[in-house]
Amino acid sequence: MQLGLMLAPYLAGLALLVILPAIAGFGLAFTEYNALQPPRFAGLANFQEVLRDDVFRIATANSLIYIVLAVPLRLAGAFLTARLLLRPTRGVRIVRAAVYLPTIVPDMAWALVWLWILNPIYGPLNQTLALFGIAGPAWMTDQVSARLAIVLMMSWQIGEGLVVCLASLQNVPRDLLDQAAIDGGSAWDTFRTVTLPAIAPALLLLLFRDTIFSFQANFVPALIVGRGGGPDFATMFLPMYVYTTAFGYLRFGYAAAITCAMYLITGLVLWLQFRAARRWGFGFGHAD
Amino acid sequence: MPTRRPCRGWRSAPIVLHRLAVAVVGAAFLIPIYWAIAASLREPGVQSPRTMEWVPISLAWDNYRQVFAMVDFRLFIINSLFVAALAVPLTIVVASMAGFVVSQIPARWRRGLIALSILCLMVPLTAIWLPRFILFKEAGLINTRLALVIPALMGTSPLYVLLFAWAFSRVPRDVYDAARLDGAGPCRVWAEVALPLARPVVVAVAVLSFVHYWNSFVEPLLLIRTTDQMTASLGLRVLYSLDRTNWPLLMTGAVVVMTPVVVLFVVAQHAFQQDARGRGIIGQ
Repeated sequence: MQLGLMLAPYLAGLALLVILPAIAGFGLAFTEYNALQPPRFAGLANFQEVLRDDVFRIATANSLIYIVLAVPLRLAGAFLTARLLLRPTRGVRIVRAAVYLPTIVPDMAWALVWLWILNPIYGPLNQTLALFGIAGPAWMTDQVSARLAIVLMMSWQIGEGLVVCLASLQNVPRDLLDQAAIDGGSAWDTFRTVTLPAIAPALLLLLFRDTIFSFQANFVPALIVGRGGGPDFATMFLPMYVYTTAFGYLRFGYAAAITCAMYLITGLVLWLQFRAARRWGFGFGHAD
Repeated sequence: MPTRRPCRGWRSAPIVLHRLAVAVVGAAFLIPIYWAIAASLREPGVQSPRTMEWVPISLAWDNYRQVFAMVDFRLFIINSLFVAALAVPLTIVVASMAGFVVSQIPARWRRGLIALSILCLMVPLTAIWLPRFILFKEAGLINTRLALVIPALMGTSPLYVLLFAWAFSRVPRDVYDAARLDGAGPCRVWAEVALPLARPVVVAVAVLSFVHYWNSFVEPLLLIRTTDQMTASLGLRVLYSLDRTNWPLLMTGAVVVMTPVVVLFVVAQHAFQQDARGRGIIGQ
């Protein structure tokens, strides 16, 4: 009884602030709503418009390109850093904190900092490149390098991934590692046959979580560093488009339909990842 | 692998290389923040340099006074602290209570609750923006900083509930049973036995949720209209909209807004990185 009461705020909050809004979002997608007049039922009109919308197509392509570049980079970064910082000495602890630090910097501050770093003439990044005789790209005024810039600035914020990788690497059974060392395989063999299978579930979960996260996390960079999705729609990612549609054009119903499409695309990507991982996992099991 | 090899001859080469790599990685992750601090100390209005300056040539500390005069950062910071002062304790109470229940109930129910929490953790925030905005608008909570506290009523994030549940379930059962035999109800066991034992997680969740509310940008962006209710992150956007090319002052603003969380994180390190005996939440 008392236990139920102690759980109540959490469950009520989840229902009211997460589950219900998530469901209401679907309902909203079938309406025309500008937040001033009451919503009007619009049937499938919003979804039909999504299919014909060029900006939606661009935003989807941008988001997918971003996922394909950013997620592997972030996972590889987190994993390699975790390998490097696995055994805790005093120095390693300090560096772990340093690696985590960019993750806790407020998004708005991080975006402003990168707006400065990426300044093509005065920014420290291109000036550093110039020291090596490299002419840096124009970053946020060029479509291709603008996309890369967003990927770049997000690959600093990998603290969560670092924590997950550290925790799972530390849980690899010690005796299995010792056994492999006695068997005299190369470091790569040990990694492939012992470490990787042990951490695969955690890595897979991290992959899913980071994919979902990455679909939405480029909103503030697109808003500030891309100045609202620019240059020329290059950083118009799906969340940016949802925001513009809802709060710029006051088309909440249509924005909800785009959100639904974004759900679907995220689900599709997760499903592809899951299939690929299972296949890769099976091949692995047989190779033993 | 042996923990420490003798440092002589070729044998020490891997250790030196490892240390070098560790140092390079540490520096690489800190460099954006260093660049921001360096840029915040340049005289505003002076032409930016065309070549790299690794050490700032000027120390214009006056920028930090000026940025508070340009926009009302004092008020924005007070607003942010107001939100955090309500939201952080509320988060700890709600999340730890729920986590305690999760750790005490039968396995069948526990699995269900954990699955529900993970599922809710996976819901993209973007999907919730619009309905929540409409919900808050209907409830008359637009443009009040109080609206920003509301997620704390559900413990802010299912992740915190899971963290608490995990910490409480690592406490040996007989500790709870002993308290129960003394006639303590669940509420007293939670407050007097479980919470004190999980102090590192309490600290960690306090830090994480403070960082969450301090950093929060999208929620204030959607819900707050007037400057008197704005939080620090949103205030930074006001500064940016005033003068988009005054880099020294923009970087000063960025440094001002990031300083509290950075300092808090560094001070609370011990809660995240455990000592040799294996406490803390990040792992050893």
